[in-house]
Amino acid sequence: MSSPANTIVGGKKSPRIYSREAVLLGCMLLLVLFVLFTAAVSRMYHKTIHVLADNWFDQGEASFRAGDVKSALTDYRNAMVYSPGNAKFQFHLAQALAAAGRGDEGRSYLLNLLSESPGSGEVNLALARIAAHKVLTADALRYYHGAIYGEWDSDPIAMRWQVRRELAEYLLDHGLQQQAVPEIIALADSTPANDPEQLRVVGNLLLKAKLWTRALDVFRTLLSANAGDEDALLGAATSAFNLGRYSAALDYFDKLPETDRNSPGVAGMYKTTQQINEMNPFLPDLSREAKARKAATALSVATSRLQQCATQARQSLTATPSQTQLQKAFAGSKELAADGRWQNIAKHPDTVDEVMGHAFEMENASAASCGEPEGADRALWLLGRSRGAAAQ
Amino acid sequence: MTEPTAVTSPGVVPPAAGESANSTSQSGFRAMWEVWTNRVFTMREDRFFLFLAVLIGILSGLAVVCFRIAIEWTQIELLGSSLSPTFPRVVLAPTLAGIAVALLVIYAFPRARGSGVNQTKSAVYVSNGYIPFNTVVGKFITCALAIGSGQSLGPEDPSLQMGAGIASLIGRRLRLSQEKVRLIAPVGAAAGLAAAFNAPISAVLFVLEEVIGTWSAGVLGAIVLAAISSVVTMRAFLGPESMFRVPPFRVAKPADLLAYVALGIVGGLASLVFLKWLAYARPRMQSLPRWTQRFQPAAAGLLIGIIGIRLPQVMGAGYPIIDQAMHGQFTWKLLLVLAALKILATGISFLSGTPGGMFAPSLFIGAMLGGAVGAIEQHFFPALPGTVGTFALVGMGTFFAGFLRVPITSVFMVIEVSGNYTAILPVMISSLIAYGISRSYVKVPLFDLLARQDGLVLPSVEEQREQMILTVEDAMRLDAALVLDRADTVVDAIKKLEGKEGLLTFLRVRPGEWNFIERSELQRLAADTSRSHTVEETNSKGPLPFVFRDMSLEEALHWAGDWPALPVLSRADLSKLEGVVTLDDILKAFRKVPVR
Repeated sequence: MSSPANTIVGGKKSPRIYSREAVLLGCMLLLVLFVLFTAAVSRMYHKTIHVLADNWFDQGEASFRAGDVKSALTDYRNAMVYSPGNAKFQFHLAQALAAAGRGDEGRSYLLNLLSESPGSGEVNLALARIAAHKVLTADALRYYHGAIYGEWDSDPIAMRWQVRRELAEYLLDHGLQQQAVPEIIALADSTPANDPEQLRVVGNLLLKAKLWTRALDVFRTLLSANAGDEDALLGAATSAFNLGRYSAALDYFDKLPETDRNSPGVAGMYKTTQQINEMNPFLPDLSREAKARKAATALSVATSRLQQCATQARQSLTATPSQTQLQKAFAGSKELAADGRWQNIAKHPDTVDEVMGHAFEMENASAASCGEPEGADRALWLLGRSRGAAAQ
Repeated sequence: MTEPTAVTSPGVVPPAAGESANSTSQSGFRAMWEVWTNRVFTMREDRFFLFLAVLIGILSGLAVVCFRIAIEWTQIELLGSSLSPTFPRVVLAPTLAGIAVALLVIYAFPRARGSGVNQTKSAVYVSNGYIPFNTVVGKFITCALAIGSGQSLGPEDPSLQMGAGIASLIGRRLRLSQEKVRLIAPVGAAAGLAAAFNAPISAVLFVLEEVIGTWSAGVLGAIVLAAISSVVTMRAFLGPESMFRVPPFRVAKPADLLAYVALGIVGGLASLVFLKWLAYARPRMQSLPRWTQRFQPAAAGLLIGIIGIRLPQVMGAGYPIIDQAMHGQFTWKLLLVLAALKILATGISFLSGTPGGMFAPSLFIGAMLGGAVGAIEQHFFPALPGTVGTFALVGMGTFFAGFLRVPITSVFMVIEVSGNYTAILPVMISSLIAYGISRSYVKVPLFDLLARQDGLVLPSVEEQREQMILTVEDAMRLDAALVLDRADTVVDAIKKLEGKEGLLTFLRVRPGEWNFIERSELQRLAADTSRSHTVEETNSKGPLPFVFRDMSLEEALHWAGDWPALPVLSRADLSKLEGVVTLDDILKAFRKVPVR
């Protein structure tokens, strides 16, 4: 290797001239030193920016928890300056934006995250909530399902259950009963029988979706664990009432505390249940006379309602031949009138069904012409419907 | 083509036989070193150049990593770690840093002024690739201070110059030939830019489009290699993430692309405004008394600080703000205000002579304009595909193409900085529109304009692109030749030539071998009536070099002076004459083309 040399040209010191080997060796040494230096500097730099990012993020979390969404947004954005690709920061920023009513802005970060991890349950759920807030049902459904079938870092079963519950509630709140039903059924199927809280939620959702049989089953399960569970009693009573199982409903209502029975939503239903049971001649263990009296009362109530309705509808019940439903129902009742006294019915107990059949027919005809009845008529009408449904 | 000569090392002495047998570990190392250096220095020069390209790439990548860290740290120290600096800092930091930058530039690093692109270009074309290392150091310090303190400038162009400076130093120290030293600066420039942008393809294209000006195959490999190695180095230290994260989108219908036409028009007009302003104000700023140069960066810093009190987003390179705009964090009104103020702030910073680049600000302006156009369009046409972020991304490329006049680079840059290929069609459309508008109203591209204002006449790629390339077809004459075969008689040939004074006579010896016969030669043989002569007996000139109609006229010119005429042959059949071209024809064709 040639040695470095200084040359003097015209009294002026020229730059040192090194051999190529020396220069190349120098470059290699410089490269190694430069790599080490850069590694050290970048390590310090990364440490600094990670600390800064974490500090800003923690501040953001604190602000968000304190309800100061505006400060939280600023802090999260500051955190993202030092860690722009950080999924956690982006997610929290998006959530803060959504909480600030700026879901559209948050959506952009979430879509970004979704493109990186399409199976993320958290991201799908956040997007679903934004879509649900804007009532974009198609998007909401897509993202909710993405969240249900997506990945969750901790307790995925519970998270999926919660997401499905949220989806079901969204659908019911927006009158999308048909789409809600499969979700609620799936939710019920995935609910463990030993979790009363989840069962209660599912039961209430089943009630909202008018899935009475399943709801009654759920509430019965709850009652088997705790017979005094008021929510379960009320749910079971409501389900039984809507299923036409009025005796059972009355049992559940009767077990409720009086304050609950008399609460606005329940009192009417309870009273109707009582009336139905009072008017129902088909209850077991009734004497022949009691059955006959109830049947005769039912016929009388129904005839009276029919006549009122005919007056209201300005129809003559005596017109022949009978044309309208009211007229036909009345004609039928007239045939029975002679035998409609309770004594006659008591003498011929097999006529109870026939008498009650006429009573139900009259109530149905009145309801069709004059709207749903009230009071004893309503009780009779509901009884008739439940008998009809049972017969079917 | 001659084989490139091997680079020999005067210092390498092959080890003597048997010397290694009794060597110590030190001499073992020496032997290894010598074998290695022997291999390196006896490489063919082009391979050695590629080896150097990798070395330059790694060194440039490391320099850019340190540069970016220096900017970030300066920013944290001077402005604080928040995106919204507190009141005293926001004004004091850029002002005081401006004074420091001015003093450094005037007294220590005078060549660190400017963005760095033109300085690199002038190094290639004026100083044979010489960039003093002092400039690299100066650029590093002054730009870190300026950008970190909030001046509205970017780190990319300075990185380009730093890379070129490192390459130039290595080239000089290794005593490469003058041609190689001149070529090695762009190699470093590509490496620096690639690392700064995390975008190797864009860097290569930009250097080819703007710095070298030609698609030179000789240097392309080295440039690509340097760009890749610098990006790999940078990613090793700063991570592989692309600069911006925009969700992918889909252009459903061709009509959807119309939305980007509007963006192209807006981007083109905005780039015009910025270009016109810089072109108008720069000579006036330069004509101010020399002593004002000490205060211009500080004054610029103060003005930017005042803007920053209300809108700190316009300070610095602005990448976090671009990211926010891409995520739809600003209203369209605010986006428009930010774009306008960024034009103002960047102009002020640049005109004050503060060292720093124009790339990042132009991306910022484009992103804001794109976001604004997108938000407005989506307000009126909610069914439009893509988000505000998509428009911001496309807007970046649009303004970049209009302002810097590098349409190809801008398209690839958008893809690389976002890692999003779906934007390619919208970017192509809007970039071309912006580029067209900009070119129609400002004839000279920005960097050429700046160079001319500085008294430099550097080659302009745009002008080169516009130059008409003349081909043989432009000069050849179709019916000016008489083709004779060897068996043809002289008498018949004379008959065919009667009354056709300008006709040139060619003898087809065989396919691809053509000779020229002077008319006087035919007449000489015709005068001999003792027997019938064939044209083969004439003293024809040849074999003639032949040309094809698609060859460049410059190529034809090489031979045209030595022969009375050149046959223009068919590429499919070398026995078929398509025309004829003479020196006069070529010169006439050249004269027809308007001179720049």
